[in-house]
Amino acid sequence: MGDWLNVRGWVGDISFFVSDNTVGMSRFWEYKYAVAGLMTEVLMATIVFATMMLTMLAIPWIERKFIARLMDRRGATTSLRSLWVGEGGHHADWYDNVPFGLGKPIRWLNKFLNEKVGNASDIHSVNRVKDRGYHGIWFLIPGLFQAFADFTKFASKEWIVPAKADRFMFEVAPFIIIASTVMIFAFIPFGPHIWAANSDMSLLFMMAIFGIAPLGVFFAGWASNNKYTLLGGIRSVAQLTAYEIPLLITVLSVAILSGSLNILEIVDFQLTSGTWNIFLLPLGGALFLITMIAEVERIPFDMPEAEAELVEGWWTEYGGMRWGLLFAAEYMRSYAACLLFAIFFLGGWETPFADIFGLLGSNQDLILGGIAIGLIGLAFILRNVLPALAAPLPILFLTILPGLVWMLLKAWLLFTVFVWIRASLHRIRTDQILEFGWRWLLPLSIVNLAIATWLRLFVWNGSEWPLAIPALITAITLVLFIILGIDEDKSQIQGRERPYSIQSDSPASTRTDR
Amino acid sequence: MPFHPHAQPNFRNLVIHPMWMTLKAALRTIPYIGSHKWLAGHRDSPSYHAQEAVMIDETTAKRVGADHHSVGQIYAADRETSSVVPYLERPVTVMYPYERLEDLEPWLFVPGNYNGRIGVIWETCTACKACVRACPNGCLHMTSEKRVNVLELAEDDDEWHGYGEELEVGGLAARRNEVDNSEHDIFNAHDAVAQEYDFGSIIDISGDMATVRWDGGEMEEVASSDLIPAEEDIVSGRIDIGRCMFCGLCMEACPFESFFMTNEYDGMTGYDRSELWFDADRTRVLPALHQERVDGELAKRAEKEQRKRAKKAERAEKAAKAEA
Repeated sequence: MGDWLNVRGWVGDISFFVSDNTVGMSRFWEYKYAVAGLMTEVLMATIVFATMMLTMLAIPWIERKFIARLMDRRGATTSLRSLWVGEGGHHADWYDNVPFGLGKPIRWLNKFLNEKVGNASDIHSVNRVKDRGYHGIWFLIPGLFQAFADFTKFASKEWIVPAKADRFMFEVAPFIIIASTVMIFAFIPFGPHIWAANSDMSLLFMMAIFGIAPLGVFFAGWASNNKYTLLGGIRSVAQLTAYEIPLLITVLSVAILSGSLNILEIVDFQLTSGTWNIFLLPLGGALFLITMIAEVERIPFDMPEAEAELVEGWWTEYGGMRWGLLFAAEYMRSYAACLLFAIFFLGGWETPFADIFGLLGSNQDLILGGIAIGLIGLAFILRNVLPALAAPLPILFLTILPGLVWMLLKAWLLFTVFVWIRASLHRIRTDQILEFGWRWLLPLSIVNLAIATWLRLFVWNGSEWPLAIPALITAITLVLFIILGIDEDKSQIQGRERPYSIQSDSPASTRTDR
Repeated sequence: MPFHPHAQPNFRNLVIHPMWMTLKAALRTIPYIGSHKWLAGHRDSPSYHAQEAVMIDETTAKRVGADHHSVGQIYAADRETSSVVPYLERPVTVMYPYERLEDLEPWLFVPGNYNGRIGVIWETCTACKACVRACPNGCLHMTSEKRVNVLELAEDDDEWHGYGEELEVGGLAARRNEVDNSEHDIFNAHDAVAQEYDFGSIIDISGDMATVRWDGGEMEEVASSDLIPAEEDIVSGRIDIGRCMFCGLCMEACPFESFFMTNEYDGMTGYDRSELWFDADRTRVLPALHQERVDGELAKRAEKEQRKRAKKAERAEKAAKAEA
């Protein structure tokens, strides 16, 4: 595991250096390893938490931006720019009022940005929108900071407890949900060297802790003393029984396939065995995706929330910062689900097609990474003299990316799938999810478990998968998918065309071709 | 088959096809890629989603002139493009009230029969209160007062003498009562000035005597010479536009064409519900805006006045003849 982003190694070195020069100098010198270890663990927990919080900024951003695209709605993709630099010649002037001219640099920066990226165009119809529509790569930046604005809003709101609520449980339920959600990330590695805890049973612990939040949801729904919240809480528990068992059986199949309950080892197994689990257990991947969407209560399994029927479901009585935190916890759970999918099925932090790129993958150490960076720099400098040198540039660049980047990219990509599903599918009924869970997911997950067991017992040769097997399984899955995807009775569609055209280039009643 | 084949609850119809449709919608929003025939096409029209409609057609171009900024721009239903980057999408939201749709897209207009803000031509209002009675929401409030006709009070040799109303059946009449307001302390008194006239409506006129129903309710036969013609005058007309549902019944009820629902949609905001109380000045419609109707109304009244004068002259002539 030679990822150059050896955070845990660096933190351990620093901790030992500090401990060695403080505790090690004192008469308690024999405790210096224990102190260094404690420091390392505390720092790593902090780093993992910070990594999670910072990279999670992308999650609501993806949610808003991608769903705006899916719904063919562009307003959400243009925001905040006018707040920064103003429109045309007009901008904020608070920095003029800062004493001693300390605001001058901000003014210069603002002026520069206003001139460079502020919107002014000779085309009237473009100019008219000013900063509301922006064209260029900068569209990526606005909107990322919406989360901070939301936080400010939530934090400044009043905290209201309904008069007839069970106050104690009402106050405690968010803590149960949020605390158990944060604990999930204790065992999620963001890279080979970025993890907070590494237990032999980390998989078991994580699935257990994942199942706590629905209990908090039920408490919250009950304690709010409101029919909508109560219905939401009851629905949460009802669907819990339907998806939790298939979920655990699916995770068990991954553990059996990888031969370990340790999450790091599950990823390492995929790195060394020659292929990712998704190509061996595509059914497991689908089951895990479905049950995880149900677990994090997103559309189409968001019955506990169901804003069309139950106001906001179990959220209804929560407001202000509690609501904000619950919302953040909801996204944390989605994020954790995406990360877990990447870990279980998409090879965690492994570079895609690392074998094809050859030499490095993402598993190079610092020296090799340095050499790669030097090569990239050289190729970039000489790109005009020897264009051939620049050809492998992108691939070289990919190889020096640390595992963290691939991990995040995979998780974010998976979240776009979550959003895509949210934009496409309907919320299903309570009885439908129960039937779906018990009559489809449970038998399928047992079939999946059988496949995993068979693969492990009879196909696994102890070092590497025979590549024909994942290729065959993937091919069979694709064929099945295509067959199911074109499952429409064409002969029945004939003659069922509408007698008139509902979409047309020409105005009504001018068509002559039908 | 009870279902349309696409309504069968199978994997294709429940999952794959909906997701395929949303994916295509998302891809269409991407510049250049989105206009590809394969994505933008539709079974019936290969370029349905990427059609280039010209913003202004020839007739409109003739009207607004060739140098209008919208001429030559490409227009699509939900997005606009520019000639520089032809498939650039941006929101077409109009930042009302800083921008107005009528200003930006002058070929659009609010239809004339749109029920917008209430407008009243106060000049021709007779305070009949038909609108107040018609309003189902009770948002119209009008106070009126009975007053003697000052022209009738004029002295005999006064220039305006004889131009006031006349006593007529169905009209209003007043009689001087015993109230004396000469001692009323107009600067310090807290009570209102007492009315110096009794008002009533004329039921019948026969000879020199008139039958009057006083506002108190009692009927009385009075000598016509004791009576002064009176009229109902408007004191204030206020509209609580916050309660208005713009049904237009008030406009239909108005017999004098004084009451209008204008086609203006703004100017009905405030930071406070009390700002939605429109006084007469906020509902005033200038007669110039409805000149035809005002002219008609005024012609009607002029005609009435002429008839009255003719009658008066005739009577004066008859009286002179009788004297002679």
